[in-house]
Amino acid sequence: MEVFLQTLVAGILKGGLYSLIGIGMTLIMGVMGIINLAHGQLMMVAMYITFALSSFFGIDPYISLLVSMPSLFILGMAIQKYIMNPLMEVDSILPENQVLMTVGIGMVLTEIARFIFSSNYKSVQTSYSNATFFLGAISFSVALVIAFFIAIGFTVLMFWFLLKTDIGRSIRATAQDRDAALLMGVNSKKITIITFGIGSSLVAAAGTLLIPIYYLFPDIGGPFTRKAFVITILGGLGSTVGAIFGGITLGLAESFGATYIGMAYDDMIGLIIFILVLLFIPGGFKRFTKI
Amino acid sequence: MTKRRSVKCLIFGFAFFLAGLLLVSCGKKSDTIKIGIILPLTGDLAKFGEIEKNSFMMALEEINALGAVHGKKLELVIEDTQGKPEIARSALEKLVTQDKVVMIGGGYSSSETYAAVSVAQKQKVPFLVNTGAADNITEQGYEYIFRLNPPVSEYPSSLESFLKESAKDVKTAVILFENSLFGQSGSKEFEAQATKWGLKVLLKEGYAKGAIDFKPLLTKVREKNPDLIYMISYYMDASLLIRQSMELNINPKLFVGGAAGFTLPEFLKNSGKATEYVYSATLWTPTVPYKGAKEYYDKYLNKFKEPTEYHGAEAYAAMYVIADAIKRAKTPAPADIREALTKTDMMTVFGPVKFISYGKMTQQNKLPTFLVQWQNGQLETVWPKDVATKKYIYPIPPWNARK
Repeated sequence: MEVFLQTLVAGILKGGLYSLIGIGMTLIMGVMGIINLAHGQLMMVAMYITFALSSFFGIDPYISLLVSMPSLFILGMAIQKYIMNPLMEVDSILPENQVLMTVGIGMVLTEIARFIFSSNYKSVQTSYSNATFFLGAISFSVALVIAFFIAIGFTVLMFWFLLKTDIGRSIRATAQDRDAALLMGVNSKKITIITFGIGSSLVAAAGTLLIPIYYLFPDIGGPFTRKAFVITILGGLGSTVGAIFGGITLGLAESFGATYIGMAYDDMIGLIIFILVLLFIPGGFKRFTKI
Repeated sequence: MTKRRSVKCLIFGFAFFLAGLLLVSCGKKSDTIKIGIILPLTGDLAKFGEIEKNSFMMALEEINALGAVHGKKLELVIEDTQGKPEIARSALEKLVTQDKVVMIGGGYSSSETYAAVSVAQKQKVPFLVNTGAADNITEQGYEYIFRLNPPVSEYPSSLESFLKESAKDVKTAVILFENSLFGQSGSKEFEAQATKWGLKVLLKEGYAKGAIDFKPLLTKVREKNPDLIYMISYYMDASLLIRQSMELNINPKLFVGGAAGFTLPEFLKNSGKATEYVYSATLWTPTVPYKGAKEYYDKYLNKFKEPTEYHGAEAYAAMYVIADAIKRAKTPAPADIREALTKTDMMTVFGPVKFISYGKMTQQNKLPTFLVQWQNGQLETVWPKDVATKKYIYPIPPWNARK
């Protein structure tokens, strides 16, 4: 029982972070209609920003959210405005050349990070990095719990933003039908730029929240891009609620798999679920929700 | 019309470019002897690849400063493997067929090395492996493959005498390993040996590297309550494993790392006080009783402003072994160099090097290993006793009894 509960807790806490990573990707997916394969690399950039702030200025990782999120917001907007949007206007052999572009952006970001920070593994040690509290026999990592609640906070905020604000409505309109939105007077170019910014800053938050408990190096982005991809497919492309369920599902699947099947098969379990979802609920969890 | 012209231009341009490349490579060919090195310079093992590359280059400079070999200087052609077996194979093919190297060195992870050695054997180019540790690399009977470092099954050989003489009350063990060729090979061998020493292996489990949360796995370990936890992990996983063991309050009598990640300075940086008292098997420390070991460490620190570790020493020593073999070879051709390698008998900073066959292994160098322990933020050699820099602390105090 103790093992079961510990596994459950570990899965949900990790799932919270995964959701945050997934929402960023799914937003971009919804509006742009492409998978952003530089998503994990953008997260890596945010992690390095957090690391630099902490090691040079002694700024706490949670406070550096205030820097890393706006920086990535601007970086994301710049990428969309100056790299992705011009590409949309060019006729090319492959209609997916924007996806290829994101792969390229990811590589460039990785190598820039390697150039500045070298390949060394870095980490930020805080007073709460190893802090835990126990409920019964179940241990909770303080940093993961904080990260989980901040992630939930951002998710709720995101919902409020999408449902209640003007820009949020425009984003949803563009995601539903780009041409119709354009006809209704939505400036879709502006919306794609803002969406890419928001998506980037959400994944930046996830990266910064991971820093106290994880480590970083230039190539850390790849695995997280893959995770984000799986989450997005699980949740249904473009669905925010779906991404939350996708994230939690992946977190739970990984941790239950680790306990009852073997931790060596971590990635395999995630991908098996991925295939099962594609086979039996194509379209992902989005089918059960409206948003 | 214009389109066709531009295509023509492109083709011409490309042809000129190729011709230029050919000229450049021809010009270079005559005055150096080329040695191919494969290392992971990007990807998640890049850090270790970098340490090895620096050490190779450092040794090369020293060797070339001593004078020419067969009237020529030595040159290293370094190819990136990204830590991936398939890229290691094609990198090696490229080195042999295009760069015409006379010998291969390097090879970091077991998986990539294992993939690469079969290509070297097929191409009949000698390959001196200096890091890839899975046992089966030298168990294929390949006559062109030599290995400088001990196989992973021998990493814990120092642990055996330590358990027999000092930690006699260790009866049970848990083995955790990274699910790679290196981890699988190491854990299988360790299980067999531990059983031979009279230990009971309660749990043996692998994990996929790069995991964020090891708690489900560690909760299982806590339930077993073993005397000894043996971990075969790279640095990043190593520090998360040890930190989360502290969080879960797992208290074995001994935490032992199987080399790789547990001896790096970054392990201390990332794990902080959780590193204290952790043991690790290691192949080399700056305090080993080999001539030049400490000098190598100091030189590296001076030049690159960061400490090196056993992987670097392996690379540094390998470069000297390679140079020695080429010097003794009748002509600098692969077959002659292979011949010379079989007669290698020299001392390096990594220990004595002589390629022998024993058990299932062929052309394998046999070396003793050491046991180190983190004490007060320093990596101290604690076993065997005659080379110890500090006395070992056993059993390690439980987490909540520490400051």
